[in-house]
Amino acid sequence: MDDVVIRTRNLSKEYVRDEFRVVALKNANIEIHRGEFIALMGPSGSGKSTLLHLAAAMDRPSGGDLEVMGSQLNSLSDSEIARWRNRHVGFVFQSFNLIPVLTALENVELPLKLTHLKKGERMQHAATALKLVGLDDRMGHFPRQLSGGQEQRVAIARAIVTDPDILLCDEPTGNLDARSASEVLTLLSRLNKEFGKTIVMVTHDPHAAHFATKVRYIDKGELLPEGQAPEDWKALPN
Amino acid sequence: MRFLTLIVKNCLRNRRRSFLTIFSLSISLCLLGVMAALYYALFFGAPPTAQARRAVTRHKVSIVFPMPIYYREQIRKVRGVEEVAIWQWYGGAYRDSRDQRNFFPRLAVEADRLFKIYLDYQIPDEQKQAFIRDPAGCILGRSLADRFNFKVGDKILIKGDIFPFDLDLTVRGIYSSEESNEDTLWFNFKYLENALRNSSRLAAGTFTILATDAADIPRISKEVDELFANAPAPTRTESEYSFGLSFLSFLGNIKVILMSICGAVTFTILLISANTMAMSVRERVREVGVLKTLGFQSSTIMGMILAESAIIALIGGVVGLSIAQVLCIGIRQGPAIVDQTKTLTIQPPVLLALLGLSMIIGISSAIVPAWNASRTNIIDALRFTD
Repeated sequence: MDDVVIRTRNLSKEYVRDEFRVVALKNANIEIHRGEFIALMGPSGSGKSTLLHLAAAMDRPSGGDLEVMGSQLNSLSDSEIARWRNRHVGFVFQSFNLIPVLTALENVELPLKLTHLKKGERMQHAATALKLVGLDDRMGHFPRQLSGGQEQRVAIARAIVTDPDILLCDEPTGNLDARSASEVLTLLSRLNKEFGKTIVMVTHDPHAAHFATKVRYIDKGELLPEGQAPEDWKALPN
Repeated sequence: MRFLTLIVKNCLRNRRRSFLTIFSLSISLCLLGVMAALYYALFFGAPPTAQARRAVTRHKVSIVFPMPIYYREQIRKVRGVEEVAIWQWYGGAYRDSRDQRNFFPRLAVEADRLFKIYLDYQIPDEQKQAFIRDPAGCILGRSLADRFNFKVGDKILIKGDIFPFDLDLTVRGIYSSEESNEDTLWFNFKYLENALRNSSRLAAGTFTILATDAADIPRISKEVDELFANAPAPTRTESEYSFGLSFLSFLGNIKVILMSICGAVTFTILLISANTMAMSVRERVREVGVLKTLGFQSSTIMGMILAESAIIALIGGVVGLSIAQVLCIGIRQGPAIVDQTKTLTIQPPVLLALLGLSMIIGISSAIVPAWNASRTNIIDALRFTD
């Protein structure tokens, strides 16, 4: 296997909402290599989250090919995709999406319940992940007892606890104040640099994009060539 | 078991709602438990040990028609009959008969034979002898005595209605019984004999038979009835257990009534539970999307929701059936409509069946919301806001 983690060829996604056909992504071609930290930027509704969802196999493409970690996702059944996602993908949401009735430790343990690890091992892994994100003193706290930044760090711990190959982040700083956002971005950058995690991050925020090693733009469903930004956007240096 | 923590925590997510659901389920299951216990006792239960050996002979047409007293000696000759005694329903009125609280059965019985047939009656020997000796004596069940605060030596006046004379009785004893009802007043048949001397009205209402072996009851019943098949007063003999049940038929088709109530209760519980689960799952559509993103399969999510509903229903079932068992104890100690209620309890097979039913209700009420949630597309689930 080459070091391409995600490869798309003419990847498209169309939705039908009521009687309207909406093209969310048009013939997207991209190769993301192992160890890259890519920021996908573009205005709201441009299709960047759609590309991320397709890469995480959370949605099925309408056309084109999608290869992630050497797997042709189009050919997998729903249950195979679920297992694949648990093993290879960590996902970080804009709105954290922690389970409110579970503590930070239990939230992080959740993806490990789908593995063959025993309870003690699961707890040990979850505790290590929380320590990595600097929340080893908040293990017994429920989401409502944490700040937004802390919640997002728990969400990142949950995303990395299975040691996935790819970390997909959908506006991870969108709901955070500047200081918390900076902490989260620093953490993602550390995961990329120190642990070699491949990260794809969707963001509108040019400041957030600065933490990435590469920036790609999407506009009106089209993935623009490398180095090219929409006219009304100020391009960021790569 | 891996997901038990999450399932239990989801059950406790909205404590007030879970409590109210469990409460409503437990009330319904309590009602269902008492009904099922009654149904089982009436139609599947075995008669208590002492009662199993007893049979009752009555007029074939109706219990209101009397039979000649001489039948007793002919019945006694049937093989397997150990003892026979005459019963005669007196009726009458105690105090104000319009007040139903003053009602209790008043029966004339051959005093010396009563205790040979009702082996389960517990009464001090001196009271027993006093009753046998006194033609105007009577004995009362403990429950009846307590209800009216009767004591040994008290006088009881019963005004006649069926018979053209009043009863002036003296309480000679108070019996108790684990198996038979304790709400009856028995007075000495000699009282009737003395009052109706030379009258054609001196007859037997029923004959109570004690068989040497409970297994002989069907044969004895058949032989007794054959004995009087061509007599002016043909008979119908059946076990005392069945005889007691025949009184219930006056109320209508008890089986249908009980089954209808049980069916209505079950349907109501199903609706309550389904409504709660639908609300509970709807609140968590977004979380279902998150779980799927983490790699949870649709079947796992569906199983977790079904298990959650089953746990809530099972807790409701355990609480409700516990209350029902306590109610059964209360009913056992109250006035007995039929002897079967003296031993009313939720039998282990009924208990297991009802607990199973509560789980089935829980699971079936959650099938639709669980199925819908598990089939929801991840993107739609994550976009969901309630």
